[in-house]
Amino acid sequence: MFHYIVRRILIMIPTLIVISVVIFTIMKLPPGDYFTTYIETLRASGESVDLQKVEFLRQQYHFDDPAWRQYLYWAGGLIRGDFGYSFEYDLPVSEVVGDRVVLTVIVSVATIAFTWIVAFPIGVYSATHQYSWSDYGLTFLGFLGLATPNFLLALLLLYFANVYFGISIGGLMEPHYLDKPWTLAKVGSVLSHLWIPVLVIGAAGTAGMIRRLRANLLDELQKQYVVTARAKGLPPFRALIKYPLRMSLNPFIADIGALLPHIISGAAVVSVVLSLPTTGPMLLSALRSQDMYLAGSFLMFMAFLTVVGVFLSDLALAALDPRIRLEGGVSR
Amino acid sequence: MNETRVRERAAAPLEHFVSTEPFDPYSVEVMTPEQERFYMASQWRMMWWKLKRHHLAVVSGAFLLVLYASILVSEFLAPYGLTSRHDDYIYAPPQAVHFFQDGHFVGPFVYGFDYHLDMKKMQHVYVPNPGKVEPLRFFCHGDRYNLWGLIPGDLHLVCPAEGGTAFLLGSDRLGRDMLSRVLYGARISLTIGLVGISISFVIGLSLGGVAGYYGGWPDSLVQRLIEIVRSFPELPLWMALSAILPVTWSPILVYFGITLILGMIDWTGLARAVRSKLLALREEDFATAAMLMGAKPRRIIVRHLLPSFASHLIASVTLSIPSMILGETALSFLGLGLRPPITSWGVLLNEAQNINVVALYPWLMLPVVPVILTVLAFNFLGDGLRDAADPYR
Amino acid sequence: MRRLLPLAALAIALAITTSLRAETPTLVETPSLKDEVAQGKLPPVGERVPQEPRVMAMPAPGEPGGTLNMLMASTKDTRMMVVYGYARLVGYNQDYQLEPDIAEAVDVEEGRRFTFHLRPGHKWSDGQPFTAEDFRYWFEDMASNKQLYHSGLPEQLLVDGKGPKFEVIDPETVRYTWEKPNPLFLPALAGPEPLYIYAPAHYMKQFHEKYADPKSLAAEIKKMRVRNWAALHTKIFRPYHNDNPDLPTLDPWVLTTRPPAERFVFVRNPYYHRIDAAGHQLPYFDRVTLTIADSKIIPAQTGAGESDLQARYLRFDNYTFLRNAEDTHEYQVHLWRTAPGAQLALYPNLNCNDPEMRALFRDVRFRRALSLAIDRHEINKVIYYGLAIEGQNTVLPQSPLYKASYRSEWSQYDPAQADALLDEIGLTKRDGEGIRLLPDGRPLEIVIEDAGDSTEQSDVLELIRDTWAEIGVKLFAKPSQLDIWRRRVYSGATEMSIDKGYENGLVTADMPPVEFAPTTQAQLEWPKWGQYVETKGKGGEPVDMPEVQQLQKLYEAWFGVDEKAERAKIWHQILALTSDQVFTIGIVAGVMQPVVVSNRLRNVPEHGVYNWDPGAFFGIYHPETFWLAPEGSKQAVMPGPRG
Repeated sequence: MFHYIVRRILIMIPTLIVISVVIFTIMKLPPGDYFTTYIETLRASGESVDLQKVEFLRQQYHFDDPAWRQYLYWAGGLIRGDFGYSFEYDLPVSEVVGDRVVLTVIVSVATIAFTWIVAFPIGVYSATHQYSWSDYGLTFLGFLGLATPNFLLALLLLYFANVYFGISIGGLMEPHYLDKPWTLAKVGSVLSHLWIPVLVIGAAGTAGMIRRLRANLLDELQKQYVVTARAKGLPPFRALIKYPLRMSLNPFIADIGALLPHIISGAAVVSVVLSLPTTGPMLLSALRSQDMYLAGSFLMFMAFLTVVGVFLSDLALAALDPRIRLEGGVSR
Repeated sequence: MNETRVRERAAAPLEHFVSTEPFDPYSVEVMTPEQERFYMASQWRMMWWKLKRHHLAVVSGAFLLVLYASILVSEFLAPYGLTSRHDDYIYAPPQAVHFFQDGHFVGPFVYGFDYHLDMKKMQHVYVPNPGKVEPLRFFCHGDRYNLWGLIPGDLHLVCPAEGGTAFLLGSDRLGRDMLSRVLYGARISLTIGLVGISISFVIGLSLGGVAGYYGGWPDSLVQRLIEIVRSFPELPLWMALSAILPVTWSPILVYFGITLILGMIDWTGLARAVRSKLLALREEDFATAAMLMGAKPRRIIVRHLLPSFASHLIASVTLSIPSMILGETALSFLGLGLRPPITSWGVLLNEAQNINVVALYPWLMLPVVPVILTVLAFNFLGDGLRDAADPYR
Repeated sequence: MRRLLPLAALAIALAITTSLRAETPTLVETPSLKDEVAQGKLPPVGERVPQEPRVMAMPAPGEPGGTLNMLMASTKDTRMMVVYGYARLVGYNQDYQLEPDIAEAVDVEEGRRFTFHLRPGHKWSDGQPFTAEDFRYWFEDMASNKQLYHSGLPEQLLVDGKGPKFEVIDPETVRYTWEKPNPLFLPALAGPEPLYIYAPAHYMKQFHEKYADPKSLAAEIKKMRVRNWAALHTKIFRPYHNDNPDLPTLDPWVLTTRPPAERFVFVRNPYYHRIDAAGHQLPYFDRVTLTIADSKIIPAQTGAGESDLQARYLRFDNYTFLRNAEDTHEYQVHLWRTAPGAQLALYPNLNCNDPEMRALFRDVRFRRALSLAIDRHEINKVIYYGLAIEGQNTVLPQSPLYKASYRSEWSQYDPAQADALLDEIGLTKRDGEGIRLLPDGRPLEIVIEDAGDSTEQSDVLELIRDTWAEIGVKLFAKPSQLDIWRRRVYSGATEMSIDKGYENGLVTADMPPVEFAPTTQAQLEWPKWGQYVETKGKGGEPVDMPEVQQLQKLYEAWFGVDEKAERAKIWHQILALTSDQVFTIGIVAGVMQPVVVSNRLRNVPEHGVYNWDPGAFFGIYHPETFWLAPEGSKQAVMPGPRG
């Protein structure tokens, strides 16, 4: 087990390095940089450009240096915990991202919880009542969630929530709670806004999870030991819960690693539509305006989270499934 | 005790009887024609039989076939041309098709519109007028078009009445018929999935195959690569890659660029599946036998191993196409994918993505229906294929 | 002596007009500040308001109090409060005439000597006096300091490259003198993004190396993570950005939320210099909140009643939706006019790299033909409900310089004449699809690029495509990205662009004709010539088209003249030449801007002009005079000036 952990950690490091190089390259590839976009945007709206200030910033952030040196400057900063400076917000990246990460985590956790809570019973029911009408019906619903483009769904829900429930449009809470401390009323307001993004983002993941759970459970239910257990008189419910379900939980845990980036980016599109103060819209606008440090550092942060998440989920899987431990990490 | 009895019995000659009837020692093994068909059937045939029992998959498959076939003749099927617009019918609501007029069967027709512009609210008001009966024409001459951009023609399956309108799904802000736009959009949206999937298929198969067959360091390398690609949140990667596409490219090139992007990010699932299957299969006896007989690795992979899980591959591929289609709609929504004047379902949805549409002109959101149906169809078909892929269950 | 007489007369006249104000009414304490005054935290209103405050005239005075909510799309939009607040040394009134605001009076002699009289007792938002020292600090310690201003004084302060002579006459009077007239000076001070010639010296001195304690300065530099004191000073003093709650200001509302935030709260400036006729210190609103949301969702939020006053991020095509939601959410939607010379105009790139296309664009017959082949009436009807004004990219009817012929020349829909013109040029050969061929055999296909973010533009291009196809010109629309598109235009790679028309269609004779002659690279019809003028010959190309050279001559002539009638004459020559030559192909103008006003909000005109410069969007309508009526009172519509 120890060897396994050490091996995985050692492999993570070159992975992260490669990811950082790729991110940096992608940021640098489009022609121009933040300042060219900034200058033209100002010009287009008739406002004047303070070219001196632009020069200041160019020099200060080594924009005229060769690419490899800029990369080292940035990567070095990352290791030290210095995420760089956002030109769009005129603040260090860590300050810009700080609040939003909290809200992103709330939304993501709520979505994952929603996905599990919904997918679990439906998947189990579907597997145990295979080929029944409810099986077909539930599977169909799950698929429907998968197939609908989520941005459209978000807009629709937003509008109807406002018309029928009077929920204010966009944002994670009523506007007047924005700068007030956390009270019960504020929590209530957040909840009343939260269900739309959670529903929209979670819909797609739920369908996939239902299908996987159903398939795995079906596999397990056909195995010898289940037949034996039932033949020997074990109550069907216990025969279901005690052994097959645990075996089929494998993919749930394995999927956390895959779920994280999916949720963060799926959340991004929906957050833009719903105007949520999460990291998604911030990232989008940073990518658009080529605010290099904000976008690059944040992407790196997300990639890091994902790699760590995969590592942790593999660890959990190894703890759960001795076969993986012994075979040295060949995951399914 | 039994031994003594047997020895006693062996002493005396046995009474026996031998039949003189003709006797075919292989009779037990002869099969009836049905049994013969079943047991001698090839893998593909068995798959097909299993698939046929999955009704939903069959229906989906038929639906998709029809959809793809319609791409070939979109110009013929659409009531109007791609670029035809009507200044007098802006934001017209969908016209329902009726069959009975005053109790008589008249044939399919729509009611004409009475139109006035409400200047107070700047709203186009259309009131169906039961007095204006506009029968639909079939196999008629309508807007001119170039089939596939090459062959000029003007025959349409269905057209509006002479001087009338037939906006079965309503019209948009320039007075263009939504049904026609959806039919034309199918061409781009459906094929983008196919092109993208072939790219990811090729990449996934080669990398997964190499990793699974050789093991060792190629395996580790590919696994790391997969991990790297999967660690990227899709969206920023799409955005960044789309930003790289030079804006000076023509729409066709942009289209292929988008499919390339979608394909390049999507191959990891396939690669992992291929890899794990190969890892398992190469330990099988038939593979070992082929190796011992001196077959080259390529031959072993292609001729022996691949067919064993080709069915799984097909199922995987079918299940990946919907994510391509959804990916294209998401990219177009963000303004990164295709843009007008190209028409695709994603572009149509992008144009529907504002509050005016939701509140006032909801029919502009109807392109979401073919998207959903296509994605569902592919999913059901893929599910059916996957269930059928293991026929020995 | 004789020459001094008319000058003296002028000076006296100006002085008289300013003192012909109403007598200062008795001041009334602001209700929301009563507690702080009682506790001694703030001086009473008599000491907060300058001795000669500016009295704002309005039909009936309002009630102080309340919060104004608005929606914005980015943290950078805090600068909109500076724009809307419109507290300037001199500002435009609703007739677009300049009048003093922060300054009590301005004496202008010969157009080259400007004397500003400040209001005695005028204080910054932190209570410190606003005096000539603030002007001196800016001019001598900032603008003349090479480390802070690398390229020297801002160009609106330069005449023939030379700056003014700056004098402090007394603590409330400063004077700027040039050798030749400087007509750009006052308009720059009155702009929506103003030229600041003053700074809060008492606050900024702690960041200036000349005055600050070296140790504390070094500590600040380190804390703000900047390179040196100049970067620190530049970073702190950004009054237009309006993102620093600590920076003292003269605006009606002061920022209290430090960015980044989702919601910015501005509170009233207790030392604001304007009052109403009943003696209430303005602004009426105690607080203004800006809630940040995604720009695409702002129309939806406005329609749900989440904004009390909203025009920004609302477009004409949102009107129907907003109108429909009016009754359920207690607001009204007004339509104000916009002031650009054209909502959309086509810009043939006279400096484009392709020699064939360049030759064609330089031929006036080609431009006229393209203009004649656009069915503006159809575009107006389909996209703008017939409410826009069709015609060329030129001044609007509300401008005193307007003549109907400027708009109507070469802008009727006349495909026959267009055909004739194209044939006359020699483009008679056509290919199989009916598209004309260039002399070198290529089909005549014009690629129009734009910033790619507006369906309005792509719709208009769709409509133009059809009518141009009839005369044998193929239009190809290529949406792009803002900065990439502009750079392509500057480098000559773009053939034609589509964008807004002239920024200011409401010009008066006293405004310089900067948009009508090559002055800057950002002009899409002649970027290289503009660059040549902007960089004074270091980049770009000199003008080599006689008609444009004529424009340049007229432009320079305007600066040499300071009499209004003379200036008007030059303007008319410029406008006539521009209309005749069709350098830019205007399509429609005067598109309406929806303005959402809550039912309880008063003093917002029903008709107005929503324009950036001049106008500062809401600025010239004085948002500090808007007030919140008690709940349940009906909306009494305030008529605005002729819109």
